[in-house]
Amino acid sequence: MDESRPETSKETREAAARRAAIAVRPEFQTHSGGGNKEKVFELRDVDVSYSGATAVKGVTMDIARNDVTALIGPSGCGKSTLLRCLNRMNDLIPGAEVEGELLYHGEDLYGPTVDPVQARKLIGMVFQKPNPFPKSIYDNVAFGPRILGRKENLDQTVEEALRSAALWDEVKDRLDDNAFGMSGGQQQRLCIARCIAVQPDTILMDEPCSALDPISTGKIEDLMIELKEQFSIVIVTHNMQQAARVSDRTAFLMVELDATEDSRWGRLVEYDETEKIFTNPTDKRTEDYVSGKVG
Amino acid sequence: MAEPVRVHYQEELDQLEASGLGGLELVGSALERTLEAIEHQDVELAQIVVADDDRIDGRYLEVHQALITLLATQSPVATDLRLISALLHVLKNVERMGDQCVNICKMIPLSGNEPPADEEMVKLIITMGRQSKTLLTQAKRAFEERDVEMARDLVRQDDVVDNLNRDCFRLAIEIGDDPDKREWAMTMLLAARAIERIGDNAVDIGEQVAFVVTGLFREFEDASHPA
Repeated sequence: MDESRPETSKETREAAARRAAIAVRPEFQTHSGGGNKEKVFELRDVDVSYSGATAVKGVTMDIARNDVTALIGPSGCGKSTLLRCLNRMNDLIPGAEVEGELLYHGEDLYGPTVDPVQARKLIGMVFQKPNPFPKSIYDNVAFGPRILGRKENLDQTVEEALRSAALWDEVKDRLDDNAFGMSGGQQQRLCIARCIAVQPDTILMDEPCSALDPISTGKIEDLMIELKEQFSIVIVTHNMQQAARVSDRTAFLMVELDATEDSRWGRLVEYDETEKIFTNPTDKRTEDYVSGKVG
Repeated sequence: MAEPVRVHYQEELDQLEASGLGGLELVGSALERTLEAIEHQDVELAQIVVADDDRIDGRYLEVHQALITLLATQSPVATDLRLISALLHVLKNVERMGDQCVNICKMIPLSGNEPPADEEMVKLIITMGRQSKTLLTQAKRAFEERDVEMARDLVRQDDVVDNLNRDCFRLAIEIGDDPDKREWAMTMLLAARAIERIGDNAVDIGEQVAFVVTGLFREFEDASHPA
C-alpha cells in the first residue's frame, strides 16, 4: 500500500459523486432497482434513429452500478449508437432521435429539464483513439475541473485522477511535458484520468483498446477492474475476449434486416451475466457470434 | 443467411472429439482381451494388454495436447468450451479405464497357470466385464449423439455391474478354507473391483454428456450422499 497516496476511499468518491449529481440536478437522485444491484441506467424499449432511419430498435435493459457492462456485436449493430445515448452524445448529431424511456438513476435522462452538458459531466466518455489536448499532462487532467471552477486543491485532484488511472508513477516527474509525447497506452490512460478528474458517476468506453498493443490493453483492462469499485463502466468492444475478461454483464446486439433487406437496425438479442454469455448462452445467435462461427 | 466461418477450427474440434471418443474403442478392445485372459488364464494375452496400454496413453497425450493448443490458440467459448472441457474429462476416464485393464492383467500370472478357479465366480466376472463394455459403447454413443437420456441410463446399467460385484464378494466369502482357493478368490475380487470402476468411469462420461448439453454439471449419483 502506497502510504503517500491521498485518501480516495470508495465512500469519499461515492459521496462526492453523489453530491455532485444532486448539485447538478435534483432529479438525479439514486434509487434502488428491483434487482439486487442498484441500477444506473434503465432502458425501456429504446429506439434510436438518424434522420428517420432506425439505427437501434426496442432495447430494454438495466445497467447496474459498479458493474462493467459490455456491449458486443458485429459492425453496424448499433452498440456505439446505444452507448452514445447513455450520455446524450447523440444529441450532437443532427437528426438523431431517441425514443422510449431511458432512466439515469431513476430519472428521465431525456427529460425537458435535463441539461445534456451537465449529464455528460456525470457520465464521462473515453473514445477509441486517445484524444489528449495539445497541452501538458497536468493541464489535460486539470482541464475539466478548471472549466467547472473547481480550482481548489487542483494539484491533489490531478494527482488523484492520475493515480486512479494507474498513470501517476509513470508521469509524476514530467507533468509539464506535452501529452503528445506519451505512448498510445499512456495517452488513453490520460484520457481516462481526464474523465475521472471531473468526478463522474459512470464512464462510457467506446472500443478504448482497439488502437493499443496487448501490454497497454492489459493495463487498461486492469484499470477497468479497479475503477469499477468507484464508477459504473459501460464498454463497447469488438474484442470478445476483452468483454469476457473485464465485464460483469454482456449485452449482445445484432443486425436485423427488414423483409426487403433495404433497412437494417440493431437489436438486443441477449443480455446476461458475462460468464453465462461465454459458457452457455441462451440464444443460438449469441452462441454463433461469440464462437466466431458466423460472419 | 450468414455464412459459417472458422471452418478449419470446427473441423479440428470435430476430429479431436472423434479421436478422444475413439479412445473408448481402444479401452473396449483392451477390456475384451482382459476378459479373455481371465477366462482362459492366458498370461501371454494379458501381457499384450499391458503392452498395448501405451496406445491408450498415447491417444490420451495426443488429444490432450491438441485440445490445450486449441484452447490457447482459438479461445473457444460456449458449447465449444464445454465440449473441450468435457473431452479433457473423458480422456482422463479413458486413460484410467485402460489402467484398470492393465491392473487386472498384471494380476493374472499371480493366480498361476492352473488356478483353483471357481467357475461361477469367473462367469460372474466375465458377465461384469461384458456389461461394462456395454456401458462403454453406450457412453460413447450418448456423447456422440448428445443424448442426455441415454447418458442417464448409464446409471441403471452400472447398477447391474455393481450388483454383480456384490455377488462376487459373496462368493469369495463362501469359497471355503483352502488357502490357494482363498488367494485366488482374493485376486479375482480385485479384478472385479477394477471392472466395477470401469463402469463408474463410463457413468462419469455420461455426466459430461449432460454438461455439454445443458451447461450444468451434476453428478447423476452422489456416492457420498446416496438417495
